[in-house]
Amino acid sequence: METRRTRFTTLTAALAITALVVTACSGSTATNSPSASTNTPIAAANTPSAAPIATPTATPIDGTGKTLTVLISADGKYGAQQQQWFKDVSAAFQKQTGATVVFQTFASGSEELTKIQTSVVAGQGPDIYVVGTTFTPTAYSTGAFVSLTPDNWNQVGGKDKFVQADLGISGPSATDQVGIPYTSGPFVMAYNTDLLAKAGIATPATTWDGLAAQAKQLTGNGVYGMAIGYKDGFDPWKFIWAMSRQAGNPIIAGKVAKVDDPTTLKAYQTYFGWLTTDHVVDPASVGWNDGQALAAFASGKAAFFPMSTTSNIPTLKTSAVKDTYKFALMPVVPPGATTLPADGVGATSILAGNNIVVAKYSKNQDLAFALVKYLTDDSNQQVLFNTFGTMPVNQTTFKAVTTSNPALGPILDSAASSVATPFSGAWADTQLALMNVVVQTIPDLSAGSVSDSKLQSLLTAAQKTAQASLDKAP
Amino acid sequence: MMIPGGVLMIFVIVVPVLLGLYMSVLSLDQYTLRQWLSAPFAGPANYIEAVTDSPLLKSFWISLSFAVLSTAAAVPLGIAAALATQNYFPGRAVVRSIFLIPYVMPSFVVATVWRTMFQPDGVIVNGLHSLGITSTLWLNGPNSYWTLVFVEIWASWPFIYLLALAGLQSVDHDVHEASALDGASWWPKLRYVVFPYLKGPVALACVIATLNHINNFALPFVLFGIPAPDDVQTLPILTYSTTFESFRFGLGAAMAFSSLILLAIPLIIYVRAVKLDVDEGADK
Repeated sequence: METRRTRFTTLTAALAITALVVTACSGSTATNSPSASTNTPIAAANTPSAAPIATPTATPIDGTGKTLTVLISADGKYGAQQQQWFKDVSAAFQKQTGATVVFQTFASGSEELTKIQTSVVAGQGPDIYVVGTTFTPTAYSTGAFVSLTPDNWNQVGGKDKFVQADLGISGPSATDQVGIPYTSGPFVMAYNTDLLAKAGIATPATTWDGLAAQAKQLTGNGVYGMAIGYKDGFDPWKFIWAMSRQAGNPIIAGKVAKVDDPTTLKAYQTYFGWLTTDHVVDPASVGWNDGQALAAFASGKAAFFPMSTTSNIPTLKTSAVKDTYKFALMPVVPPGATTLPADGVGATSILAGNNIVVAKYSKNQDLAFALVKYLTDDSNQQVLFNTFGTMPVNQTTFKAVTTSNPALGPILDSAASSVATPFSGAWADTQLALMNVVVQTIPDLSAGSVSDSKLQSLLTAAQKTAQASLDKAP
Repeated sequence: MMIPGGVLMIFVIVVPVLLGLYMSVLSLDQYTLRQWLSAPFAGPANYIEAVTDSPLLKSFWISLSFAVLSTAAAVPLGIAAALATQNYFPGRAVVRSIFLIPYVMPSFVVATVWRTMFQPDGVIVNGLHSLGITSTLWLNGPNSYWTLVFVEIWASWPFIYLLALAGLQSVDHDVHEASALDGASWWPKLRYVVFPYLKGPVALACVIATLNHINNFALPFVLFGIPAPDDVQTLPILTYSTTFESFRFGLGAAMAFSSLILLAIPLIIYVRAVKLDVDEGADK
């Protein structure tokens, strides 16, 4: 009897331990996946100064004794400046309304997701969330964030104060929106003016085929035509999306996923082909992330560097190519074409950056919108641009920055002509599926050849994932 | 006397497990997250999908094989290290401390360091190249599995070492003396005198270490990222990705419980085989 009891106890304990380890394993967090869209430092890392308090146009709000909590990504590059900015904003907003602002930060995308998920379930947590633009559809689909009314827009200063393109991923339609633009960080392409001049190339091509041809011309003597980070955890799908979109494939069309569309296959073939058939990228780039590709360009070892984040610019400003690089828009004509197809969209970038969403459970929503107004007003947007280099979403700031920084022209043009990724709750899964195709192709890429059959089978699997996720959407 | 322990067990183990079990039969995703336990009832659908229409079984074999291989390799290393440091020699304390370094380092630190070294142009690839071995891809493709096994062994063998050392401490001095008087050479002495003392601690270490390997989330997550290469999509990575990246909370819970059942079978067999569930008194 004793033996049986002991056996039972031991087995129960063993099962309990196993249950705990299995169920608890997914609760861990780790540190290598940054948020979908992070701050994009461009300007020198100045110590931020508090933006002057904008004169409120709406009725002043008394927030005395109240506390607003804001969840925002920790800035890894400008941590000290961010901490100072937190203090400045808190002080200014307290002076304006009497309320206290507390900033909570997350260091990784997984930490951000966990925080949002637990807050949504618990119905309590931060009042305001700063989320990546591509996460906005997922946030919308939870139904946990305030659907913005005309009054809400008026509270933050009106829709007209924003760069209109930045509103493209605020919600599924112009009248059903949850995300308020906060910062922008569009894609742009850097190129080495010296290398292009030596090769007799006046300007970068505006078609992907033309760019590949120019890159071939520029490859040789230890220099490669392009710098690409195939192993980067976030960038590759963005190229695939842009090329597909330019070819007329939005990837998600209503309730239909189009991941296995021939245009997407062609996009992958082109992206991988730069290494396997065109030989215009360093073979080592199979293991590179965005930072390593940047290093190659910054050391003069590559002629073109398509960038999916403007946070690389401070590095370029102090690099070996600091006087010999310029920016240009990425090509807008899809692979295999010489002009934009009739159903194509000349997407230079996804609508990248950050949006602000306000929690429905917040008991201080009016106060929250007052803070959002402050954060998106010209004065604070100037501070963000000067301190962290983020592109402004405020029309006034945008115009001022455009006038005073002509070298950033292509970036601002790209910001204005960015195209939103599909506003669907299935987008997160679809994006992951697009990334997975690249991840699972790396061994073939390393071997120097990616077969069409392998690519097609991966696309079929990705299509299945995306469609299954779409089918679950209400 | 049992009440505090029982209450603790209910709140720490029983309630979360039951909650997880309930979540596994709900259609709980981003669209129903706010409803949480009021989400639509899905019945066995999540379990059916987990077993028939997800990479769960493949991940199960990856996790199990990786864990067993890691344990199997760590056992001789740990025992050898314990034997080597059992008897006193100058500097023994320093050596023992050094042996523990891999074990006390946080998993994400271990993974970050090894990820840097396994880069295509990292020290390991360059070192192998100088030996005539040309392989550049260790963090993706089939080699990634062996990278995971290797790093796991490196980080975990000191655990076996610690328990083996504890087992060695329990060998009576008289036993050593008696075997010496009988003229036993080192191998018979090791085989018939010392190893029987290690059987219990090492068997226990094997169970715990294997469970730890299966449970190790940070190591593959930091080494390979998400999405992980197919060859290293372990159970924790699959469950995490399904739950937190795809927002399929119900399916993720079903995967976790399916894994529990799959893992419980070999675990029970092993526990019974090594008689960890039978106390000495019961054998008499």
